[in-house]
Amino acid sequence: MAAPLDVSPSGELAPEAPLAGVSGRVIEGRSLGQIAWMRLRRDKVAMAGGVVVVFLILVAVFGPLLVQNPDIYHANLINPTFSRPNGPFGGISLAHPLGVEPVTGRDVLSRVVHGAQVSLLIAFLSTALAVGIGVVMGIIAGYFGGWVDSVIARTMDVFLAFPLLVFAIALVGVIPSSAFGLAGNALRIALLVFVIGFFAWPYMGRIIRGQTLSLREREFVDAARSIGARGPYILFRELLPNLVAPILVYSTLLIPTNILFEASLSYLGVGIIPPQPSWGGMLSDAVTNGYWSIDPMYMIIPGLAIFITVMAFNLFGDGLRDALDPRSSR
Amino acid sequence: MGLAALGAAAALALAACGGSSGSSSGGGSGSSSSAGFNAAVTSVVNPSTHKGGTLTFGDSSTPDSMDPGNTYYAFMWNLTRLYTMPLMTYKSCPGQCGLQVVPDLATGPGVVGDNGLTWTYHIQPDVKFEDGTTVTSSDVKYAVERTFDRTVLPLGPSYFPLLLAPQTPAYPGPFKDRSKNLMGLQAVQTPNPTTIVFHLAKPFADFNYVVAIPQTAPVPPAKDTGANYQLHPVSTGPYKFQSYQLNKLTTLVPNTYWKASTDPNASQLASKITITWNMNANDIDNRLLAGDLDVDAAGTGVQAAARAKILSSASLKASSDDPISGFLWFMYLNTKVAPMNNLHCRMAVEYAANKTNLQTAYGGPVAGGQIASTVAPPNVVGQKNFDLYESTTKPGGDLAKAKAELKLCGQPNGFSTGIAYRSDRPKEVQAAQALQAALAPAGIKLSLHGYPSGTYYSNFAGVPNYVHAHNLGIETGGWAPDWPDGYGFFDFITAGDTISPAGNTNIEELNDPVVNNLLSKMASTTDAATRNSYTAQIDMQVMKDAAILPEVYAKSLLYRSPNLTNVYVQPYYGMYNYAVLGLK
Repeated sequence: MAAPLDVSPSGELAPEAPLAGVSGRVIEGRSLGQIAWMRLRRDKVAMAGGVVVVFLILVAVFGPLLVQNPDIYHANLINPTFSRPNGPFGGISLAHPLGVEPVTGRDVLSRVVHGAQVSLLIAFLSTALAVGIGVVMGIIAGYFGGWVDSVIARTMDVFLAFPLLVFAIALVGVIPSSAFGLAGNALRIALLVFVIGFFAWPYMGRIIRGQTLSLREREFVDAARSIGARGPYILFRELLPNLVAPILVYSTLLIPTNILFEASLSYLGVGIIPPQPSWGGMLSDAVTNGYWSIDPMYMIIPGLAIFITVMAFNLFGDGLRDALDPRSSR
Repeated sequence: MGLAALGAAAALALAACGGSSGSSSGGGSGSSSSAGFNAAVTSVVNPSTHKGGTLTFGDSSTPDSMDPGNTYYAFMWNLTRLYTMPLMTYKSCPGQCGLQVVPDLATGPGVVGDNGLTWTYHIQPDVKFEDGTTVTSSDVKYAVERTFDRTVLPLGPSYFPLLLAPQTPAYPGPFKDRSKNLMGLQAVQTPNPTTIVFHLAKPFADFNYVVAIPQTAPVPPAKDTGANYQLHPVSTGPYKFQSYQLNKLTTLVPNTYWKASTDPNASQLASKITITWNMNANDIDNRLLAGDLDVDAAGTGVQAAARAKILSSASLKASSDDPISGFLWFMYLNTKVAPMNNLHCRMAVEYAANKTNLQTAYGGPVAGGQIASTVAPPNVVGQKNFDLYESTTKPGGDLAKAKAELKLCGQPNGFSTGIAYRSDRPKEVQAAQALQAALAPAGIKLSLHGYPSGTYYSNFAGVPNYVHAHNLGIETGGWAPDWPDGYGFFDFITAGDTISPAGNTNIEELNDPVVNNLLSKMASTTDAATRNSYTAQIDMQVMKDAAILPEVYAKSLLYRSPNLTNVYVQPYYGMYNYAVLGLK
């Protein structure tokens, strides 16, 4: 353990300086943020991922305003005997660029776009929840150590060992159709955000705890402590800014995981209530209703949407990590 | 509760999925001349007396039980005819002829006495079990007694405890009551080895249909192993169990003590029968089309992939049948939940519903069914066609009439209500959404409430208090009668006295004195013609009450393997008659 007085001359050039901290000594006008941005810009794959992510967010926010009503039936586009869309590739036409849904004839493009909104909303909110809880718990466990660390670490173990999927199915099954002042899909979305976010925080918590453990022995923490700073100040004013990089990186990587989890819950029938579309729900329809055998296109499209989204977030997250922490790989 | 279990079986078969294996060559042994599409619905295809060969059945699920006293699946009732002889059965013939209930183990239909309170059957004196012992009336009585113990045999229907005269203390079944040489049930008497008398609690005109359920197939008390009896039911039919690997493979071989003269409704053509359970549903279809498998035991029709293959090939289509299965898919329109308690609001729903989209939701005109305008399907005896709400003339729905009814209801701008459905049944989910989309233009807003099918009747739609508390004005449902007459069809779903606090099957909570009166008349009228004339009257009254929105008379596309002989659809089962099949 480093003794508080055993410090090198203060105000040195800190190679591990925080992202936006240490203002006094700007070197040649380039902040660390700028350096990271420069590195990120050079990483073409990560930039491509980032562009797709931005595009997806725009689609999720504004797309539903532009496409047609996703709940309108187009029975005339369906061959009732075979239940499949008329025409090749799932009934792709000018009016329905991604085809129509088997049985109902609902426009696939508008359902994918509306599904993007739901999937991304749940993914972002649950990630925010997981990151919020994970950062607070991780930073407290790492900084205070001792029994606090033990309790939190064991709690995280319990959460990680929890049979989450079973719990999620059971929970969504027993919650009535209206509760907590919410009803229908608002309730379902809140529930999914809670289930996904509340059980994903230990991943974030562990990373933050580890980072905090190494940071708390650093000189600047000792310095803050020596001038009389208390726990909360050190936690949130000294340590937290130094944790921005891992938080940013792992949030970006947690989002695709949560998208997949939401899709699997919808696939298992405990996700969004129809007719509200969601990607997992569309995949589920394709499999349980046997659409895959009569209209493979209908399965490919939501599958592709999930694939592209998850890959874009992952590529962007990896690039971000490389940019913020060039020692980690390569 | 009717053949509700059949619906579950159908859903299981339909929900099965996964990669298809095996070759998809199709074509079968196509060279043989096919009889044509729907040929086996009205006539016997490939009539023959040729013996020999192994008849192979496949099933994508498992039987609820192979014990004739413990099964409620329609296809199992069909299969049990291969190894059992109940007192009565359905005549083995295609078309309307096959709806007749005829004596099987009995020598004639029941003789009614004591003002309808006793039913007496005489049984054939020379029918033998597979071990050569002669069947007596006490074996039949024992089979009936077994059905009283729902802890040992929980799966079959429970008509006997319901209909027979009660005794005190209540009869617990022969597994618990070992007294009187296992003959403790007082409501069934066996004055001599060939006579059996049933004492009823009140007159019940349909009793011949009740004893046609496989539960009256004789069971020798000494051979009964309770829940394990299904591993080797003692045969009285043309075939006996050689082996049964539970839920894997059943092998049947000819029963040497069976005589065609005592059992004209079954035959013994194949030299061996195998039933393979738990096969992949698409694999079954591929094997059927390739000629490696003879019959899909479930009888609920081929999967979507095979449907496309069959219907787009003229030769395959000629080897398929599309019979009415006997099932009605419909929506209960609740008569107690406001504003659906107003007749005109319910009529608005009847008019606004887009019947074509509902039909597509259930699988379209071939695999789903025919658009229904009456509650009773055409294979209910006495059913008559009528169309009060333009279901067939304007299948897209009549918005103008719906809006006019809404005005009469005092809700000119529409209203909001909930619709309950079984969320693990894709077709019902589709139907609920289709109705939601169709009612929206009329201003009727449906909120969707999905429930698991296992507890749909016990905890949700079948609990009136739950329905009222959650404002569920509409509930999806399906119904097939346990026997094909109007009473069997309508009693459970429309009689006022069947409304119960849980497990309710009269979900629309209809309590119309006209309907109740017709049903009670029907229960006490033994003259078949008079009784069957009530069917259409009840049907008409229920539709006038707009208590049920019929969707489709279910149909299933069956592939008729060219290897089979004596193939026809027995309308009572809505599938091929398994008791008479043979091989070329």
